[in-house]
Amino acid sequence: MFFIINGKIIDRHNYSEIHANQFCFIIPEYVNKKIVEKGSKKQKEHAWKNLILTEQLRGRRLVTGLMSSMFSVSNKLDRTIFDTQNMEDLPGNIVRREGGKAKGDKTVTEAYAYSGATYNFFKDIFDRNSIDTRGMKLDSTVHYGEDYNNAFWNGTQMVYGDGDGDIFQRFTKSIDVIGHELAHGVTQYEAALEYEGQAGALNESFSDVFGSLVKQHSLKQKADKADWLIGNGLFTKKVKGIALRSMKEPGTAYNDSTIGKDPQPGHMKNYVNTTSDNGGVHINSGIPNRAFYLTAIELGGYAWEKAGRIWYITLTERLRERSNFQKAANSTYDVATDLYGNKSSEQIAVKKAWSSVGIKIKSKKEK
Amino acid sequence: MIIKIERSGGIAGISRSTEIDSSELPSDLVTKVKKIIQNRKLATVSSKVTPRGAADHYAYKISINDGESQIIIECNQYNLQDDFKSLIKYIEKHSKRDKISKNP
Repeated sequence: MFFIINGKIIDRHNYSEIHANQFCFIIPEYVNKKIVEKGSKKQKEHAWKNLILTEQLRGRRLVTGLMSSMFSVSNKLDRTIFDTQNMEDLPGNIVRREGGKAKGDKTVTEAYAYSGATYNFFKDIFDRNSIDTRGMKLDSTVHYGEDYNNAFWNGTQMVYGDGDGDIFQRFTKSIDVIGHELAHGVTQYEAALEYEGQAGALNESFSDVFGSLVKQHSLKQKADKADWLIGNGLFTKKVKGIALRSMKEPGTAYNDSTIGKDPQPGHMKNYVNTTSDNGGVHINSGIPNRAFYLTAIELGGYAWEKAGRIWYITLTERLRERSNFQKAANSTYDVATDLYGNKSSEQIAVKKAWSSVGIKIKSKKEK
Repeated sequence: MIIKIERSGGIAGISRSTEIDSSELPSDLVTKVKKIIQNRKLATVSSKVTPRGAADHYAYKISINDGESQIIIECNQYNLQDDFKSLIKYIEKHSKRDKISKNP
């Protein structure tokens, strides 16, 4: 049970801490929708805010359509880089706009260049118009927090920490990390996989897949030449490790006395049941990651051409909020069958890849 | 009173567990911890709401044990209350018993 009070989501446990005089009316959803369509600018903004909150609570996709009707479609890449100057108030001050010149801060330059590379990848390969298919602006904040060892997608923008210089360097350094964050935006507007358990691990895996493909595309690398690493070069020299994750060999990216050993499994028999990390979303993603890697290697050539296309169509047309690994496996198989035919080498490669990570395809298309 | 902070998630997915005895905390933070305990009637409080589509945020599990009872608070960076923010910041910076949580 949740309440919306003064625009804040309040759950049951701290509801009692809110004084009665802070309570405001909760406008019914259908009224907000009417206001979004027909109200004044200010009314629209307020109603829109309420709808987003309702959306957050219910996890529904309806509002995305409404947003599309509110804002016009753009066909141009439109990046803005913000700087919070080691504070945490998003989005921060604007330091570079689309078309603006680089001013010497390499973090800004990287966030700008790599978000552009990600946009171009989705446009050139999948004919996708930005994150939301309607030319959504790409906002990034750099220098977030103090010694902040993380990068995240908050539902509307990318955010990058500088790293503490002890374990991590700046998070904009890896093009695949920037591709990873933007791909979370794509997932948000498509399958909208919930961020918990297997659906969450799939959400993570799709971000790794497209993050890695953005890198491979920018380097014009074929599947057998790619490093298949996520966040290669983010660690300082003090850390015994090469990257955050390996799609090729999950569990081998690092083994260090300070940060421990890479916990990723590459097979269902080692699936990790845990309550931390939203049910191991960054851990069990190793399993579908490896299935993608094996498919791409088996098919050869540029990974985005066949394996990437199969995974992209699966994400955008076949999966839903609570899809699990089995559903994802079956869907990639069905998509491969639809695209390349029954008994095609692509269909066989997909089946073999999932089988290698311990998932047997169960599909009506299977003959 | 033992305060334990377990942080998980983030793009790196590297969990971190830190523990401190309240005797090692400055007095203003001890006051905050006492306030947290007094205001909680439930033993476990969980709040996992995040903005739609959000990913790679930190998840927190805060355990406070005063010898008689234990309070567990589960939350994430989006609904971390101000009282906890300063506490976590201090503990992560000053804890002598910093250790990597063993992978589950």
